[in-house]
Amino acid sequence: MSMMKFQTVERNSFFSRLDFRPKLFMMAIVTIVAFLWESPLMQFVMALIIVITCLLVGVKWSYIRLILVIMTPFYLILLSTHAFFNRDQVMAIQNLTSADQLQRMFTFPESWPILGGAYASWDGFIYGLNVIFKTLTLTLIIPLGVFTTEVNNMIVGMVRAKIPYKIAFIFSSTLRFFPLLIEEFNSIIEAQRLRGLAMEKMGAIKRVRVYAKVAVPLILNSLVKSQQLEVVLQSKAFSGSPDRTYLHESILKLPDYALMVFFGLFFLVAVFLMIFFGIGTFGGPI
Amino acid sequence: MANSIAIIKDVSYKYPRSVNFVLSEVNLEVVQGEYLGLIGPTGAGKSTLCLALNGIVPQFYGGRFFGSIHVAGLDTLEHPISTFATHVGQVFEDPVTQLISTSVENEIAFALENLKVSREEIMDRIPKALAAVRLEGMEHKHPHELSGGQKQRLAIAAAIAVQPDLLVFDEPTSQLDPVGAEEVFRTAYELNKELGMTIVMASHSAEEMAAYTDRIALMSEGKIVALGTPEEIYSDTEMLIEHEVRPPQVARTFYYIKKGGQAVPEIPVTMDKALPLLKKINKTSGYSLIDLPSPPVMVGEPLLSVKDLQHVYPDGTKAIHDVSLEIREGEYVLIIGQNGAGKSTLVKHFLKLLDPTKGVVCVEGTSTVDLEVSEIARRIGYVAQNPDNQIFNTTVSEEISFALKNLDYPEEEVISRTLEALQSMGLEEVKDMHPLALPKGDRARLVIAAILAMQPEIIIFDEPTTGQDYRGARYILDISKKLHQMGKTVIVITHHLYLMPDYAERVVVMGKGTILMDSDIRSVYHQTELLKSTFLTPPQSVHMAQMMQQEDPSFQALLTPEELAASLTQQATGSES
Repeated sequence: MSMMKFQTVERNSFFSRLDFRPKLFMMAIVTIVAFLWESPLMQFVMALIIVITCLLVGVKWSYIRLILVIMTPFYLILLSTHAFFNRDQVMAIQNLTSADQLQRMFTFPESWPILGGAYASWDGFIYGLNVIFKTLTLTLIIPLGVFTTEVNNMIVGMVRAKIPYKIAFIFSSTLRFFPLLIEEFNSIIEAQRLRGLAMEKMGAIKRVRVYAKVAVPLILNSLVKSQQLEVVLQSKAFSGSPDRTYLHESILKLPDYALMVFFGLFFLVAVFLMIFFGIGTFGGPI
Repeated sequence: MANSIAIIKDVSYKYPRSVNFVLSEVNLEVVQGEYLGLIGPTGAGKSTLCLALNGIVPQFYGGRFFGSIHVAGLDTLEHPISTFATHVGQVFEDPVTQLISTSVENEIAFALENLKVSREEIMDRIPKALAAVRLEGMEHKHPHELSGGQKQRLAIAAAIAVQPDLLVFDEPTSQLDPVGAEEVFRTAYELNKELGMTIVMASHSAEEMAAYTDRIALMSEGKIVALGTPEEIYSDTEMLIEHEVRPPQVARTFYYIKKGGQAVPEIPVTMDKALPLLKKINKTSGYSLIDLPSPPVMVGEPLLSVKDLQHVYPDGTKAIHDVSLEIREGEYVLIIGQNGAGKSTLVKHFLKLLDPTKGVVCVEGTSTVDLEVSEIARRIGYVAQNPDNQIFNTTVSEEISFALKNLDYPEEEVISRTLEALQSMGLEEVKDMHPLALPKGDRARLVIAAILAMQPEIIIFDEPTTGQDYRGARYILDISKKLHQMGKTVIVITHHLYLMPDYAERVVVMGKGTILMDSDIRSVYHQTELLKSTFLTPPQSVHMAQMMQQEDPSFQALLTPEELAASLTQQATGSES
C-alpha cells in the first residue's frame, strides 16, 4: 500500500484556484464572526453554508462525517452541560435577574436522590446549540482553506502574508510528517497485537494504557527521525531564514481580491447588524 | 594531489557521548572526477566520514574533532554548513525521511531556494536534474507516489540540481529491492562518466561496488585500513573476512578455487573478468560432479494454507490474486519478489492483520475468520524489519514476558518461559536493562526472544537483512537456522538472494500479486528469466554456473561460490564461513 498523504481535494474548483492569502483572510473573518455571534440560528446558517461549500469544493463527505462522529459525544456533553448548568451567563446576556425567569425544559422530581430538583433550561440548551454550531464552523473552515491549497502555495501565501517563514515551514512539515507518525503508531499497535494483545476484548481504560505504552517507541523513533530530518535540512542549506527565493509565485488576481472584499464587507455588515439591530446576538431578533 | 576535491588530513572524531573515536587518523584524498567507494562493517565510520565532508560533523553534532577536511579548497571547520551545500550533495539511506517536500519539483527546488537561486534559474535546473536521473515528466507528483528506487533518484536529482563538486551517497540502496538498487548505482555511474561528477559512495553492495567504482577505501574501527582499485581490495578475500566485509561472489569463488589448488593468476572481482577465467580452468582441468543436497520432501497436514486468496485494498488496488499455498511443519520457506509483489500482503493474511477479499487462509486447519489476532500470535511469531517498533517495555525481561501476560499464562509459567527465552538468546545478563540501551543486534535478538517465549510453531522474519551489514544479516539468519533445526517452521522474506542458499529449502516467487513459482531453492534460483520478470537478480555464482552449463550442459545447477569451487577443484562442498 502506498503511504498515506495529508488530505487534499482532487476537484479543481474556484477555491482551489485561489491564492492562499484570501483564504487566510476568509478563515480569520469567519473565525471572528463565529466568536462574535451568539445566535444559534445565525451560527447554524453559517455552519451549514460552510458544510455545503466544503462538499462543493471536493472535501469528502467521509471526512465531514468523521468529524461529526468524533464531535458528537462532545456536543452531547456540551448541550447537557449548558442546559443544566449554564445559568449565570445566559441570565447576564438576557439581563435576567433571577433564575426563575429562565424557561424550564424539565425538572427532576424532588424525590430523586442527588438529581432531585435539578432542571434543564431552554435558554441554556439554546446557548449550547450556539456553541455547537460555533465549534462546527471553526472546525470546518480550516479544511475549506487548507485542503483546497497545495502545500507549497500555502507556504508562499503564508510568507507573503507576513507569517514568519519558520512557522510556515513547521506548518508544512507537520502536514508532511503527520501521516508518517500515524503510520508508525499503527505499526507499533500491530506489533503489540502480534504479541498477544487482544485489543478487541479491551475496555476503554485498558486501551488508553496500551496507547500510553506506544508513546515510548513512538517518541524515540520520532526523535531519531527528527534528527535525521535536521541533518537533511542542514545539508540542503536550510536555516529558517526568510531570506530565500521561492519556486512558486503568489500573485493576487481579481477573484482573490473579490473574495477579500466580500469577506471584508461581510464582517462590516455582521458587526453593523449586531450593534444596531441586535442581529446575531443571543435572544436577538434572529 | 593537485586535482583533489576533498582532502582529509589526520582526522579523528568522537561524538559527544561516545567513548571511542568513530574516526581515527583518517587520511584520504578524493580526486576530481573519480568514483570512490567506502566499504566496511556497520560502525566502521563510513557514515560519519560522509557527514564530515560537508561539515555536519562536527558542526551540527559537536564532539571532539582533530585534523582537517578541505572540500573545494574550503576548511569544513571554518565555513558554515550552508556554504558546503553548494559544493557537496548528500544522498542518505532512508528514502522517506530525506524527501521533505510535497512535490517532485519542490523537492529539487528546496535547496536552491535556500541558496537564493533565482526562480527562473530554478525552473531551468529542475527539468535538467530530472532528466539526469530519468524522472522526466514527474514534476508534479507527490514523492510518496514514487517507487523506492525513484525516491532515491529524486534525492539524487535534488542533490545534483545544486551543481555540487562532490556527490556523497551514504548507503543509498540498503532499503531498496534489487531493481531499485541497480537504478541508483547506474544513475551514479552515469553522472560520474557523462557529467564528470565526483562520487563518494558508502555501501555494502559488494558486486555493484566492484563493477562501478574506480577506487575503494576499506574502513574498519574508524580507520582506513586499505585503499586501492576494486581489484586490489576485493581480491584480498582474507583481509575482507578479517574485517567482516563480504567480497563479491565472483571473488569468493576464485578465492576458494585458488585455495583448492588451482592456479589462478589473479582473483577477478567482476563477472566480465571471471567468465573467461572460468572457461580457461574448465578447459585445462575440467570439472567434477559434486554431491548436492536433495530438496526435502515434506509430508503431513499443512500448518498454513491459503486457497484462492485475493485481496483488494479499499482504494481498489488488487494487491494479490489467485494465491494458493501450503506450508508444512518444519519447512524453511523463502518468499521473494520485487517491492509491491504482494509478499507483505500475503503474510498479513497469515497473521489476520488483513482479511481476504476472496479465498480462505487457514492456520493449523482453522480458518483465520474464526481466530483472533491474539490467538494466531500464539502460533505464529512475527519479526518485523525494524525491531525498535516491537519494543515497548522498560526492561528486557518485561519485554519477553509482555506477550505471556497478554495471553494469560499462569505466573509460574510466565517466569519459567521468560527465563528460558532469555537463556536461548543469551540475554540473561542484560535482563534488567532497558531494551533500548542494547545495541541494535541485541535488540533484534530480544524481539526474537520475546516471540520465542510464546512458543509459536511458525516464525516469520520480514526483511530481516534490510539495512544490515553482512555480519548483522548472517547473525539473524543463523538464529533462523537454529530455530529451524529446533523443529520450527521458518518463513523469511528478503531481497538478498545471495544470503539464502545456506538457509532456505523452498522458495516462493511472487510477482504482480500472485505466485509465479514455488519450488526448491536450486530450481528457483536457476530460473533467471522468471526472476527477472519480478525484478530479482540471482547471485553471481548462479550466473557463473549457468555460463558453465552453456559450455557443457551436464554442468550442475550450482548455487554458491563453495559449490562452484568444489566442482572446479574436485573438492567436497562446504558451507560459507
